[in-house]
Amino acid sequence: MHPGFFDHLLLIGKFELKRSFATRSGLLSIVTFAVVWCVILLYPLRLAAELLVQEKGLMQGFSFFDVIGFGSLQQWPIPEFGLFWHFALLIFPLLSIMLAADQTCSDRERGTLRFIVVRSSRDRVFFGRFAGVMMIQALLISAAGLSTLALVLYRDAALFSSALPDLFVVTVNLVLAVLPFTAMMAALSAKVKSARQATVWAVLIWTFLAGIIGGFAYYLPTLGFLKLLVPGYQLSALAELSGWQTLQLAYVPLWQSLILLALGRWIMARQTL
Amino acid sequence: MKSPLIDCQQLTHVYSGKVALSNVSFKLDAGEPVGLVGPNGAGKTTLLSILSGFLRPTSGTVRLFGQPPGATQLIGKVSALPQVARLDPSFTIIEQLVFYARLQGFTTQQAALEAGRVLEEVSLTEATHEKPAVLSHGMAKRVAIAQALIGKPALILLDEPTAGLDPVNVRTVRAIIAERSPATTFVISSHDLAELDRLCKHILLLENGILQPQTIGLNEEQAVIRYITLQMETGAASEVIAELKALGGVLQVTNPQKNEFIVAYDPGLQPHMDLQLMQCINSHHWQYRQLSHGKTLEEKLFFRD
Repeated sequence: MHPGFFDHLLLIGKFELKRSFATRSGLLSIVTFAVVWCVILLYPLRLAAELLVQEKGLMQGFSFFDVIGFGSLQQWPIPEFGLFWHFALLIFPLLSIMLAADQTCSDRERGTLRFIVVRSSRDRVFFGRFAGVMMIQALLISAAGLSTLALVLYRDAALFSSALPDLFVVTVNLVLAVLPFTAMMAALSAKVKSARQATVWAVLIWTFLAGIIGGFAYYLPTLGFLKLLVPGYQLSALAELSGWQTLQLAYVPLWQSLILLALGRWIMARQTL
Repeated sequence: MKSPLIDCQQLTHVYSGKVALSNVSFKLDAGEPVGLVGPNGAGKTTLLSILSGFLRPTSGTVRLFGQPPGATQLIGKVSALPQVARLDPSFTIIEQLVFYARLQGFTTQQAALEAGRVLEEVSLTEATHEKPAVLSHGMAKRVAIAQALIGKPALILLDEPTAGLDPVNVRTVRAIIAERSPATTFVISSHDLAELDRLCKHILLLENGILQPQTIGLNEEQAVIRYITLQMETGAASEVIAELKALGGVLQVTNPQKNEFIVAYDPGLQPHMDLQLMQCINSHHWQYRQLSHGKTLEEKLFFRD
């Protein structure tokens, strides 16, 4: 019997995981990410968290973080997670653009996709690769979250039970935040010839889309809803929220991802392999 | 009713204004290998790419086993050797072949065995754990052939399977095709006409994207005029032609290439023309290299009367 759609999704996704965690080039990227994240965790994140903890016992009604525009950090009961949330909202979408840029393009240019498509289907390859890249990002986000949890426990082991819900909500939210970026790269990767081209196009499209829609919305506020088309539009609003409130905007990345995946699937179905 | 193996109707493909295929229609049933020939740019690779599902035709319909190319119902039934395709440089050969076999529905254990088997079939067991970057062009080609052999596909589309292979491996590929036919039907695109002559019973000829009306059958048993191709080692062409023409039953003698003569004869007048030719060669003390019934495929295809 032939494997079904989800069997292929799993097989192709697992092969992508293997590419990231069991090949030399994949491991090099993971190690680079780990080093960069360690530096962020041990210096800016830890030091800022210490500052927030110290501030809680000082003057009421005045905060250094209010002055620099990060007052929402104080709403987080565990400051490390508030800081992780802010850093991650910046880092993971950028990482997503780089990590997800080569979902199908280099394999298509090399001809490798022909070997795969002849025993699967274009849809299965497209969604399988997308699922694989999402799994990799979910693992990286979870690892970064767990390292933040370790930092919290190092400061105060008694915070374990109250830290777990924060860890969960931040991880879920970050996975949702990178979804439309990954879907955008899947669509671009189905069209362009290399990962570099996909990255360049992503930056250009994102910048122009955000600029043009922002301009329209400024002069014609009724067109403000078009901002929903820009991946990451909700990120600045998300940064102001904390805890479970952050899931209020989950519909934005989910809709964006659905639209971008539908577009990517349409491109993939028409592309010459 | 059983669907034909391949059914193409009014297939047209245009690349940036250039017509690569024009209204190609044909049906093929399962059986002996079919050759696909034509000069460079005739549309052979385009046709095979459409059949494999790599390319969407501009217009027309294609059905393989009654399904459009790329349909999931064709997984494991149809397999292809693309002309230009390389394996993923990040993984070893065996990892990729096992992955392909898994996609075809093999369990992990079966997939490992199947991958080993196809590598053995193309004499590449020593490269099992190598990455594609260390393979020579010929070895990479053999791995690409190996992937097409995974499972038991009923139809294998081969685009230039022997290009770049050494004679020993050409023979291996020929043996694989002969062994699997007719359980597996092969469609083989190649410029090597001698190779197709050996392997194929039927030939599809494409010229400028147009399928020539006659598929060329290689069986001449029923023909009114038959041909013998004679390749000589020595002998003046004019003398050979004159002597051969004088034989009973000979209708025409041509000399298309140096030392090659095509004798057209009437089998009704002389059913044993081959013996008569041998006697003639012997009596003149000429040296010959080869005597074969029929015209060469090259003559049939490109130098038709």
